[in-house]
Amino acid sequence: MIGWQGRRHRHPPGVVVLADGHELGAVMLRQLFIGQCLVLALHLPWMPAWLVGLALVVAVWRYFQLRQRVPPAGRLVRLGGVALLLGALWLEYGALHGMDGLIGLLLGVYLLKLLETHDRRDARVVVVIGIIATGVAFLHYQGILMALGALMALAWLLQSLTWLAGAPDARRAWSETGWLLLFSAPLMVALFLAVPRLGPLWSMPQMDRASTGLTDEVSPGDIAQLSRSDARAFRVSFDGEEPATHERYWRVYTLSGTDGRRWFRAPPDELAATLGRSEEDFVRQAQRSPWVDEAAGAGRFRAELLLEPDSRPWLPSLGTPLASDSEQRYLADGTLERVTAQGSRSLLRLESSGAAPTNADPAGDAWNTLLPTRDNPRTRALGERLWQESGGDTHAFLAAIMAHFGESPFRYTLMPPRLGSRHRVDEFLFESRAGYCTHYASAAATLIRAAGLPARLVVGFLGGERHPDGYFTVRDYDAHAWVEVWLDGAWQRLDPTAAIAPGRIELGPQAVEGSAEAFLADSPFSSLRLRELAWANRLRLRWENLEYQWQRGVIGYQREAAREFMLRLGERLEAGYDWLGTHLRSAWAVAAWLGGTALALAGSAWLLRHALRQRRWRHESAMLGYLQCRLERLGLGPDPGETPAGHLRRVAPACGPAGEALRTVAEEYERLAYAPLNEVERSAGRRRLRKVIKEMRRRLPKRRYRAHRTGAAGDDVAS
Amino acid sequence: MSAARADPSASGVRGEIAPRGLRAWLGRRLTIAPGEPLPQRRLFLLPTRFGLAWLALVGVLLLFGVNYQNSLAYALAFWLAGLAVVVLLRTWRNLLGVAVELQLPREAFAGREARLGVALRATRSRTAIGLILDAHDVTLPRLETEATASLPWRPGHRGWQLPPMLRLETRWPLGLVRAVAWVQPTTRLLVYPAPLEAAGTEHRQLGEGLDATDFAGLRRFERGDSATRVAWKQWSRSGILTTKVFSVPPRQQLWLDYATCRGSPERRLSLLCARVMAHHRAGDRYGLRLPGLELPRGEGERQRRAALEALALFPVTTNGVDGE
Repeated sequence: MIGWQGRRHRHPPGVVVLADGHELGAVMLRQLFIGQCLVLALHLPWMPAWLVGLALVVAVWRYFQLRQRVPPAGRLVRLGGVALLLGALWLEYGALHGMDGLIGLLLGVYLLKLLETHDRRDARVVVVIGIIATGVAFLHYQGILMALGALMALAWLLQSLTWLAGAPDARRAWSETGWLLLFSAPLMVALFLAVPRLGPLWSMPQMDRASTGLTDEVSPGDIAQLSRSDARAFRVSFDGEEPATHERYWRVYTLSGTDGRRWFRAPPDELAATLGRSEEDFVRQAQRSPWVDEAAGAGRFRAELLLEPDSRPWLPSLGTPLASDSEQRYLADGTLERVTAQGSRSLLRLESSGAAPTNADPAGDAWNTLLPTRDNPRTRALGERLWQESGGDTHAFLAAIMAHFGESPFRYTLMPPRLGSRHRVDEFLFESRAGYCTHYASAAATLIRAAGLPARLVVGFLGGERHPDGYFTVRDYDAHAWVEVWLDGAWQRLDPTAAIAPGRIELGPQAVEGSAEAFLADSPFSSLRLRELAWANRLRLRWENLEYQWQRGVIGYQREAAREFMLRLGERLEAGYDWLGTHLRSAWAVAAWLGGTALALAGSAWLLRHALRQRRWRHESAMLGYLQCRLERLGLGPDPGETPAGHLRRVAPACGPAGEALRTVAEEYERLAYAPLNEVERSAGRRRLRKVIKEMRRRLPKRRYRAHRTGAAGDDVAS
Repeated sequence: MSAARADPSASGVRGEIAPRGLRAWLGRRLTIAPGEPLPQRRLFLLPTRFGLAWLALVGVLLLFGVNYQNSLAYALAFWLAGLAVVVLLRTWRNLLGVAVELQLPREAFAGREARLGVALRATRSRTAIGLILDAHDVTLPRLETEATASLPWRPGHRGWQLPPMLRLETRWPLGLVRAVAWVQPTTRLLVYPAPLEAAGTEHRQLGEGLDATDFAGLRRFERGDSATRVAWKQWSRSGILTTKVFSVPPRQQLWLDYATCRGSPERRLSLLCARVMAHHRAGDRYGLRLPGLELPRGEGERQRRAALEALALFPVTTNGVDGE
């Protein structure tokens, strides 16, 4: 009854929809399963691995169900599956309302849905859930690799949809998918650039990811842990002056409280509650620092920070933050906090002084000199002795402290012995004498406070790798701690680590002797280990640069960037219009210019079209001429006076498998040449001819045909 | 009771009055005639439920991008939106310019299934075009230049009839929208009455020794002709299938009379129709007497056709036909 049926039973099991017209066949289910695997692969680095097991179990069940070895999954089985999933997620995360739990739920439901996928509608629901899950994967990570993976998954899902819409074969399905993606890509880019960005409409559960491993309190061991990791903390580029190596002190937060063993942070609200003051005294939300006189002028450094997602509000700044491009919380100790937690990467423009703050701490000197009276008696005694020896000269006192660190047999190590006693600073200063920045900084701060001078610890980063393109990458292992002392009406930076390990300041943590075994201990496969190989290092830098541009240009294309881009685009257009106006003075000239452009465009389009559609395929005699040339190269050229069709028929037996096709060509050509055909039939005939000849072009041997293979037209090329 | 059969549509298609009213106007506005390539003004794009769901999906992903300030989620949402626009064009282009030819069945009886042949032609290759006639549908997975299909059609009553409107539909490539076009057949078909075998009248046994033996000539092959009578030699020469016709000595000469049948007029016509066919098969010479019409006795295909046409066109409402 229908002419195409002959093609259909060439792949009997390969039907998308089974004979009843509704139930999905094996091909479609396999398509859906592969789509699930691709989407799951996007999530897998961040999600529990047992999801793979779930996918496999569901697929196997569905396969046996299709083969009718097991009954369809009833309501009980499906409910049981969901309950099992919830239980597993509960065990994994302890709660379901967290972001990870919700994503796990989405993925699990996506996988389980295959059990009750029976008809086209169900299959489309599965695909739609897959697209949502692809979007959700961007919460984990927004790098280039993730984008490419998501594009692959999207292409596969679209291809599944074309099968559902009736694709006859894989080639048609994939070519259509390709065209769709290609045609829609410019639209996507235009929308991406032009659609104005909004702020978050309501708050959503956020990913709980800490990228900078800094914590609220410093006790021995913390930053040593960080130095084992090469995770990126942030990237930064400077507009104007760049800081020298020894100036790259990134302040993140200060620690002003101590119990003798640890130093801890006093957040504004706790400080206000402890001292009985209002929170306004310690933190204010603004775009300019309220703690610094505006008369002080612009800051020395203008930085653009590309921050990694962090659930904690801390922001690094080079010295004291002065102004930012968006509202932030400015703390009185000269540090900065976000207004809300940041779930994804973000850009921040920041102006900063590059030096410690000049404003007094509103908490007062009493707070900043507080020291437990019963702990660390030897340290306190040493501090008082040094203060007396310096005769009340603060500068001499600080120099004496640095000298003490420099003269005594102190050494810098990332694997110091454990300090367990109650008088931890005493133990470090007088017994172990080995440690890293936190040890030296807390010991120095204790010594200074023992003399009654206000001092505090600052935690942040020191250094950063400079890329050839001029931006810096600061990593977890750059984490550092130092001291600030209130001196001559301003805070002064004092870094005792510099006295013990100057290389740490100038060259970075990997430069310090003896710390090599601890450095990057947790990242055995880090590409940073390849620094010594020049080409590998170049490759690494290039990849990081690409990634940086991607993060800055694409991922960072949020509110400010979008507005700026559109503004610049507007300016460019205006400039272009002005240029036109000045160069083409009269309207006539403009019209002529536009007309000329249009003509040129049309002409080139016409040329392109003709170049693309090869001339020899347009007319049957040209097609046949081409074929005859090919045959002549094989030594089967036409005899003089022979008609083209006659030639083809004569040589057909010598061409083996292509012979049958040659006869078809001869027949089709004669029909076109002599039969009274209308235009539609004629073009249809030409198309058939073109198809056969193209097919034959692939099949014809490149060289002279061997004589003994004549006649055996076993393979029907023309079909 | 039979007066109720005189429905206006029957007279409408029989008479040459152009149909009027909103439906007819819409019909002219919305449909094309067979044979011409589908113009863009007769091609309609309608969203499917899946298309609406797709829009909702774009919205959800946009909200997701806004609330998480996630650029790639924005990009995904925009790409899906762009895809929807492109799909709109691709679907439309998949159906634009397709020409539909209808092949009416050679003969059709009221209430019996006839097969309506449909041939689609296109200059570009097309994918997954569906043809829908009443409740039946068939999908052509691919259409390079020409493809054919046939659809069942059950004419409701006898007389001149237009086949029902044929709907062309495609959801290719993603099923987000469907492009629809309606083809209104313009050629009418004479539908014969539904044959009704009268109870108790068995087929007469075939006569003995009355086989057709004398060669009388050739006629075009018709479906159902015995393969032994096909003139294979002529076919091999001319490529046209013909059947050898032998002169059959007439078995019987008889009159089929409307007045001798019982029941309502339609039932009588149905009975007569069945008898015409039975006698034709048996090779009899028969004539037909209807009120106001008399078909002289004759035989063969021409006689059968004339008789069936007379039955199909017999006006029931004229006076005195209710001969009870």
